Amino acid sequence: MSNLSLNNLDTKHPLYKRIELYGLPHSKTEQYRNFPIKAILAREYTFKKVQFAQMREGKKLLIENGEVVEYPKGVKILLDKTFNADEEHFDVLYFASHMLSKAVIYIEITENLKFEMQHIFNNQETLLSYRIAIRVKKNLKVEVFESFEMHGSENSFFLYGIDAMVEEDSTILWIRYENREDTEAMLVGAHKYSVAKQGALELKTFDYGSASSLHLYKIDLEDYAWLDAAHILLATKEAKRGNVIQANHNKPYAKSVQEARSILKDTATGIFDAKICVAKTAPYSNASQNSKAILLDEHAHMYAKPQLEIYIDELKASHGSTIGTLDEDALFYLSSRGIKQDDARRMLVLAFADNLIHTIKDKTYSKKILEAFEFLL
Amino acid sequence: MIDIKNLHIKIGDKKILNGVNLSLQKGKIHVLMGINGSGKSTLTKAIAGHFEIEVLDGEILYKGKNLLDLRAEERALEGVFLSFQNPTEIAGVNNAYFLRAALNAKEKHQGKKETNAAEFLKLMRAHIEQLGMSQDMIARSLNDGFSGGEKKRNEILQMEILQPDLILLDEIDSGLDIDALRSVAEGINRMKNEERTFLIITHYRRILDYIAPDFIHILQDGRIVKTGGLELVDTLESEGYEGIKKDI
Repeated sequence: MSNLSLNNLDTKHPLYKRIELYGLPHSKTEQYRNFPIKAILAREYTFKKVQFAQMREGKKLLIENGEVVEYPKGVKILLDKTFNADEEHFDVLYFASHMLSKAVIYIEITENLKFEMQHIFNNQETLLSYRIAIRVKKNLKVEVFESFEMHGSENSFFLYGIDAMVEEDSTILWIRYENREDTEAMLVGAHKYSVAKQGALELKTFDYGSASSLHLYKIDLEDYAWLDAAHILLATKEAKRGNVIQANHNKPYAKSVQEARSILKDTATGIFDAKICVAKTAPYSNASQNSKAILLDEHAHMYAKPQLEIYIDELKASHGSTIGTLDEDALFYLSSRGIKQDDARRMLVLAFADNLIHTIKDKTYSKKILEAFEFLL
Repeated sequence: MIDIKNLHIKIGDKKILNGVNLSLQKGKIHVLMGINGSGKSTLTKAIAGHFEIEVLDGEILYKGKNLLDLRAEERALEGVFLSFQNPTEIAGVNNAYFLRAALNAKEKHQGKKETNAAEFLKLMRAHIEQLGMSQDMIARSLNDGFSGGEKKRNEILQMEILQPDLILLDEIDSGLDIDALRSVAEGINRMKNEERTFLIITHYRRILDYIAPDFIHILQDGRIVKTGGLELVDTLESEGYEGIKKDI
């Protein structure tokens, strides 16, 4: 057993220089400032990597303790040892996960497809690291529902990531549903999505519960590419969790919309650290960010940092952020009609998140997401 | 029905009610009038249990209890209903969902069978039609984006569905056109019976022409200074509050 340090990484790997340059993240690293990365990296683990064994063709991509057990029908899947990671990614653990994984699970999609991706992890004191690369070929519509089942993974660390490439005129709807408790593994997801000309990424994330986890996204948008992102965070107990997002408008007429709703209970900390970068090469971009957070308890905390980094004049851009408590007038209005305080609070919190939850059109998924949300309130 | 005794209230640092004594009788319509800032809305908020209210002294006796000992929702379940001067807009809370939750809470409190969704929808549709409202009120968010008239009618809709015993209407007539005023007044008259008590705050006579009040009370400087019949309104119309002061 050992901890994750530079000593565990291959010094000959092409990405090593990047890690050597920045060092592994620590408590002062900006994107990890409110996340217990120091404790995670100090802990000792048994290291585990991805493997292909007896895979079956089925309905979903099922990865159990790093072993690909099932893959969806209609895709090409292989272990790719030559995958080129994005050397410009802002997150060091993105590089580390690529180095630890050695090979990525590469999936090529050539037809319209809807499938579930399920991560099962139930090893204790284990560092499990793997990466999944998905290429969506031109002119397709793909929907992915990603979920996590991690009971029994105490004192473990799950470091994974997605490299998704959406080719021209294709759309991918990615729903990440993560409902996890504090007895489960710490999680860092370091992702890269690139969206080609006239492509679209609909990224909907639902982070619930008391587990600590952080997802870091680098999203690159080409001409007329579109990012539609919605993030619901419902953090409880001592959770520290959220999203760090960098959306890059690289070419003209790219559009990005980010809406985040965070609800923090108990002593939980929520993180929404999102930056939209509009390059000189991306005139006529359209970018908006909005983060709203409700603190339900006195010691709950929200770290919201919406940012715009703009190098051109010809664009539309806006961003905003609010953090507050429930509206007392609204609470009184509901109570004055005989609705109990607790029920009134639930009603208002549901209303706060409702419009983003209802962006999920699939009724099975939206029901699951809504019921879990209501249960935790 | 309700006895307000020596009620002293402050909101923030400001003392607003300075010993209100007022008895509201069962089956009667009481009207509360007074200049702006005299404490009319504060009185209804005190009865309903608003969070800003700080009670310095006094009691509000109702159905054998001191209302001041109860939380806002408990007062509502005991039959107190406050129609707000400016009803709060609550985006995302569906109007029908909210109102059914309120009705079910009352039914549960009374040990009655809860009205199911289908029955409730039928009930709500009937009341909406009676009030001349648009049926899209069912699907809209609570008061969100409603016009002034729509908000006031929505308050009356809630009143008619919840069937409260003590009804406090804070300037229900303000900002209403003639048709809306008539519709609201008809709603009040439908609710009037021998068991129910109304306290209506208004600045104008026009709604009183529709609802025939039993008593007019004048609130001044945080106290009830005069009680009478419609003749008090005539005095107000002709001489203003200065005319009332002369008689005190």
